[in-house]
Amino acid sequence: MLTFLARRLLVMIPTLFFISVLVFVVIQLPPGDFLTTYLNELQSQGEAVDPAKIAYLKQQYGLDQPMYVQYFDWAWGLLHGDLGFSFEYNLPVSEVVGDRLYLSMVLNFSTVLFIYIVSFPIGIYSATRQYSWGDYGFTLLGFLGLAMPNFLFALVLLYYANVVFGTSIGGLMDPEYINAAWSFGKVKSVVEHLWAPVLVIGTSGTASMIRRLRANLLDELSKQYVVTAHAKGLSPGRVLFKYPLRMALNPFIADIGNILPQVVSGSVLVSVVMSLPTTGPMLLSSLQSQDMYLAGSFLMFLALLTVVGMFVSDILLAWLDPRIRFQGGVSE
Amino acid sequence: MSVLPVVRRDNERWDDMADILRIRDLEVEFVLPHMRVKAVDKVGFRIGAQETVALVGESGSGKTTISQAIMGILPDAATISGGSMIFADPKTPGTRVDLAMLDRKGAEMRAIRGGRISMIFQEPMSSLSPLHTIGDQICEAVRLHRKVGNTEAKELSADMLGLVGFPDPKRALRTYPFELSGGLRQRAMIAMALVCRPALLVADEPTTALDVTIQAQTLRLIKDLQSELHMSVLLITHDLGVVANMADRMVVIYNGRVVESGRTEDVFRNPGHLYTQSLLAAVPHFDMQAGERLKPLREIKPRLDGLLTLCSADGTASVPGAPETMSLASYGPGSGEAVLSVLHVNKSFAIRKSGWFGMDQQRFEALSDVSLTVNRGECLGLVGESGCGKTTLSKLIMRAMAPDSGSILFRGESGQMTELTYLDEDQLAPYRRRIQFVFQDPFGSLNPRMTVQDIISEPMLIHNIGDADYRQRMVLELMEVVGLDPRFLNRYPHSFSGGQRQRIGIARALCLRPDLLIFDEPTSALDVSVQAQILNLLKDLKDQLKLTYLFISHNLAVVDYIADRIAVMCAGRIVETAPREALFRDPIHPYTQALLNAVPFADLDHPLDFSKIVEGKASNPRSWPAPFTIDNLSDPRMVQLSDGHFVRMTRPDYQEIAV
Repeated sequence: MLTFLARRLLVMIPTLFFISVLVFVVIQLPPGDFLTTYLNELQSQGEAVDPAKIAYLKQQYGLDQPMYVQYFDWAWGLLHGDLGFSFEYNLPVSEVVGDRLYLSMVLNFSTVLFIYIVSFPIGIYSATRQYSWGDYGFTLLGFLGLAMPNFLFALVLLYYANVVFGTSIGGLMDPEYINAAWSFGKVKSVVEHLWAPVLVIGTSGTASMIRRLRANLLDELSKQYVVTAHAKGLSPGRVLFKYPLRMALNPFIADIGNILPQVVSGSVLVSVVMSLPTTGPMLLSSLQSQDMYLAGSFLMFLALLTVVGMFVSDILLAWLDPRIRFQGGVSE
Repeated sequence: MSVLPVVRRDNERWDDMADILRIRDLEVEFVLPHMRVKAVDKVGFRIGAQETVALVGESGSGKTTISQAIMGILPDAATISGGSMIFADPKTPGTRVDLAMLDRKGAEMRAIRGGRISMIFQEPMSSLSPLHTIGDQICEAVRLHRKVGNTEAKELSADMLGLVGFPDPKRALRTYPFELSGGLRQRAMIAMALVCRPALLVADEPTTALDVTIQAQTLRLIKDLQSELHMSVLLITHDLGVVANMADRMVVIYNGRVVESGRTEDVFRNPGHLYTQSLLAAVPHFDMQAGERLKPLREIKPRLDGLLTLCSADGTASVPGAPETMSLASYGPGSGEAVLSVLHVNKSFAIRKSGWFGMDQQRFEALSDVSLTVNRGECLGLVGESGCGKTTLSKLIMRAMAPDSGSILFRGESGQMTELTYLDEDQLAPYRRRIQFVFQDPFGSLNPRMTVQDIISEPMLIHNIGDADYRQRMVLELMEVVGLDPRFLNRYPHSFSGGQRQRIGIARALCLRPDLLIFDEPTSALDVSVQAQILNLLKDLKDQLKLTYLFISHNLAVVDYIADRIAVMCAGRIVETAPREALFRDPIHPYTQALLNAVPFADLDHPLDFSKIVEGKASNPRSWPAPFTIDNLSDPRMVQLSDGHFVRMTRPDYQEIAV
């Protein structure tokens, strides 16, 4: 088990390295850089640009260096916790990002939690009472959740919250807290605002998770070992929880790594629509303006989230399933 | 076979006191959305104290449904619509419970199920949960039915594991099912069923998925435990050999009805019902006379006159549109020459093993020094237990894999033996046509999205043989050859039974008129009567079309029926090769002997000698006595003992003999 853990951790290092290279190259791929975009913008507004100033800026930002030098500067900085400098905001990336990163993490984590808590009991119910009215009902709701685009749901929710209750559910906190320091009141306000985006972002994930759990559990329920457990004289409830449910958990857990990036990217549009102070909208604008260090930091954050999520799900799987734990040493 | 009178022996005493279970007029119905199906119809039988009753029938006869009804584990769609199942627990004399009246999920039924009536299942691989240790699953059964603590439950479980033959029961408690072999898993399953000392054990095909030597061990174990624990056994099986060796009484089920019941001896010696008679006549047994045929319920009469046989002496086709090369029946004089010869072939696979930094490679020897020859016009039977390498060998011959060393020679178009080992895909193409394959699983080997017409003609399209007219006529002829109605050509495989699908597979293999047909367990997924039908068909085709077979099977009786020569394979090696009669009359190798001793005959005069059944694995080359031992010190070769009879052994007057 320890070897497994160690090997799994070691594998993450080259993975993250390759991702960082990929991220950097992809950001650089469009022609030009932040300065050319900036120049075009100024020229289109009819302003004169001093070439000397441009050259100076280029040198200042290191944009005149070859790409690999830029990459290593950036990667070296990342390793030391220095995320680089945002051209657009003229501030270090860490300051630009600020609370957004934490708020994003809170939002995404809550969403994942929401997906699991809601889909688990419903999935079990749907599988054990296949083709009942309840199953059909949840199936219908699930398909609605899958079919409806998130941002549309967000708009609908915003509209009705305003019209019916007269409140605004946009944002992640009440306006007076936006630039205030963290306090109990601010935390409370965040918690109060959190439900709407969590609901909006989590719906489709919940729906697909219910479908998956239902299908897995249905598969397991018809397996021979379930009959064996019944033949032992176990009560139906205990049979369900001890045997097939545990088997059906495997894909459920294996999904942790998948669901994180899905939720994160799914939340970008919703964040724009609901004007949430998360990383999403900022990532979008930084990609548009080729603010490469800012964009790179966001993308690396996403990658780290995925890789760590995968790691966590692998550990959980190995802990749950002895067949994975004893991998390779088995004589079939 | 419509409704025939039930044969019930009169010497059946309905003794109230001694019976543990008495079933009367049991009816089970499956309620489907559009109809109701009566799976069990007025079934009645009884099980006496410490008696073994066999429920015999073919697939779909309803025997498993009966066992599920007794256990109260019928599927949700099934209901007991009539009859009674009176269970008289010997532990509490005087009480009678009607299992049919109990709520399947209620506490009363659950106390009986697993506690007083236990069940073991066919599939040892899937019957245990892979996520829980053996100990966990057995202790659960103990604690459910007895008021004992955790430690005590563990002790009881360990005792039972010791009783079923686990060498180290304490350790076994901590193992997971996937760490055990099939035989040990079935033993764990038996331990789990018996740990609460039930009055009745329901065994649903308990040995069908096991190898023949393991089957014999398991049967002996059940017999031993039965007398030790004083329990009754309801044995559900399709294997009449098992019935003859295990059962005191037997009940024959056909189509959800009892057609005959009585003492095993009476039924075997003097079967009263037509169905029982035909069932008994369909089982291949060892002392069959030369030329004696099995009698399936329905015989296929292949019609053989046409493209398959049609061929002029000089090998040219006289049919317009027919291809030039007429390999199939085109030989006359060359009969008896080797078609295929495999020489000293080795093949090993890498096993993945996790270690620090990457994988440690470990080799598993699947085949070691395998040599065999198939002569034109003969049927060579290859016998071996699961995992012995017989399927690997067939894959090598087909060149689905390449051997590590050794050579595979095949007689090609030119009449010369050609080395297949180093040919590339293009060079192999003409040989692929000449070697065809029939697979074990009739359900998985036919593409469900193709019609029968497409399935049978596909090989001809691939090899671009004949024109559309020729192909059409060939397909029509093949349908008649395998005894299928040509009107079925536009149907899809799902509308055929297992036996019919297997015949489609045979037709597909024949359409290229191959020189060599390889059968990999072609009948092991089929019922006895269908098996007899297919075996007879293969025999007829071989005689009339002068085909050459390599017939791979684990079933000695089947091989005995169809093969001319038999090669016995074990642990990746051929250990004995002999003409059919010589092998059965005079087996030399200890493994062959163990195999022969372990086969249960459907014949009361040849009971299994349980004392001869060796515990442990007969297939371990290290434990064979000298001069047969294979280990680091000795590596015996094939030695000729008499004409055509070769054995792998060390002989002082050693001489290597080409097989």
